[in-house]
Amino acid sequence: MYEEPYRWIEAVANRRTYLDDQFTQGNPLIGVSFTQGILLLTFNRGTDKIYEVYDRIALGGMGHPADLEKLRYTLLDMAHVEGFQRSPSDVTASRLMKNGLAPVIKEAFEEIFKAPYITKILLAEVGPTQDRDHLFSINYDGMFEEQREFGVLVASSSIRETLAQEWKRHTPPSSLQAALEVSLRLWGISSLLQTDTPSSDVEEEKGEASSPTTSLSTIPDDEAIASRIRETLSKETLECVLLDRESGKMETYRTLSQAELQPLIPHYFESPQES
Amino acid sequence: MRQQGDFLQVLQEQGYGMDNLFPSSKGNGVSSHPELTTGTTVFAMKYADGVLVAGDRRATAGNVVMYDRTDKVLEIDRFSVMAIAGVPATAFEMARVLEHSFKYYRRSQLQDLSFEGKLRALSTLLKNNAPAALAGTGTVVPVFAGYDALEGCGKIFFYDILGAEFEAVEYAVSGSGSSTIRGILYYMNRWGTSPVAGINEEDALIFVLRLMTSAAEFDSATGGVDAQAQLYPIVKRISAEGVRTIPADRLTTLFSEKVLS
Repeated sequence: MYEEPYRWIEAVANRRTYLDDQFTQGNPLIGVSFTQGILLLTFNRGTDKIYEVYDRIALGGMGHPADLEKLRYTLLDMAHVEGFQRSPSDVTASRLMKNGLAPVIKEAFEEIFKAPYITKILLAEVGPTQDRDHLFSINYDGMFEEQREFGVLVASSSIRETLAQEWKRHTPPSSLQAALEVSLRLWGISSLLQTDTPSSDVEEEKGEASSPTTSLSTIPDDEAIASRIRETLSKETLECVLLDRESGKMETYRTLSQAELQPLIPHYFESPQES
Repeated sequence: MRQQGDFLQVLQEQGYGMDNLFPSSKGNGVSSHPELTTGTTVFAMKYADGVLVAGDRRATAGNVVMYDRTDKVLEIDRFSVMAIAGVPATAFEMARVLEHSFKYYRRSQLQDLSFEGKLRALSTLLKNNAPAALAGTGTVVPVFAGYDALEGCGKIFFYDILGAEFEAVEYAVSGSGSSTIRGILYYMNRWGTSPVAGINEEDALIFVLRLMTSAAEFDSATGGVDAQAQLYPIVKRISAEGVRTIPADRLTTLFSEKVLS
């Protein structure tokens, strides 16, 4: 019955509604390029969401862990075969995304008799200099986007727009601490917007004059963001990976331990005493 | 069913054949004139702080010196080193397969391959290479050394051309110049002032340079040390912190002070 174009379009639209709904419970993931490298950040409830793909490339995922695992293997196979047959410097996030990931995800999404991948993926590639950093994010339907400075995985495109606006307000981070601060803030905003979908509930305290588009959600106030981060820190694990440009080694991927993170953002680990 | 984390299988699925890698494996296997071209000297020995692996720099074809700056001590990952003797093309290819196999395993399985697993991987490559090795066109006789994180110590293994692995208690040697070194090490351990496995790094490095010089004295295919040309053996040190290359200037000082005089 899906031979009729209308039915097919309807089925794909249903799929979108179903998938969009799935991601509202997902954990946002933020990737930020800064002087020392690229920081990837999210929270998890036991299963890791950030993985090493190749010497300079990492992936972050949002969605179903089984789907993520399958796509992770696709990327690993492709990257390592390429790195072996050609050279490690020929393995790029751009080609992994365009030739490896996007066609597979798009095909699964449009193949309406089969299950789609319930996953969004962020690919980060650290370059020898900051202007050669790349961040690619791909949606569940195979649409991908390239960003230079920051990349996000969030539930909806409107939250994504809001974060892009928010990013422009910040000066580009020039230290790990600054990158961590801004990533956490972006994470907090998207986490709040995702759970409180009717954004009119949130009071507009900051008065964002520079957000003329009506589709943009309002940025929650600082205290709400901070308390969301604190609350999540007490329940879930902060997962942070640094693709370290300055590691001096071929391999750049490094998981930041809790002991390393805590001194950089002490105010989030304290109990909320300030009002 | 595919074994999880096996890079060689991934390669083969992509059409990479071992037949391409080892050219004569399609032949009848045994040549009437097996020519074991292992003109080189590599060795690994234990000392007080870990393991030292050394290799000369010369690459030969028959009686011709092809190259004097070959690196035969190859870092496979942060904790293991393969020193190669034999046909360079096959040996370098094996090293590359191993390097990618270990990386692939670690990244896909989210844990490091055990030291024993690494040994098996090399063994499998040598076994697959047996026909080429017997035909004389792909002989590789490696020494594999690394740090075993499970047991917390450095270990040395050596192989025959068919892939059998043997653990060396104190040292392992390979290549045409190795018999000289083997003789000296045996003598030192038996009648020397102290066992080689107990000496400190400084003395061990001096010893390595002297051994290499001795090997070059009796084997034309071994490069030894050429101070004038600034040509020193590659020496790597393996300990709990991983693999570290001994810098050439340190070898230069030791050589002029303790070997020449």
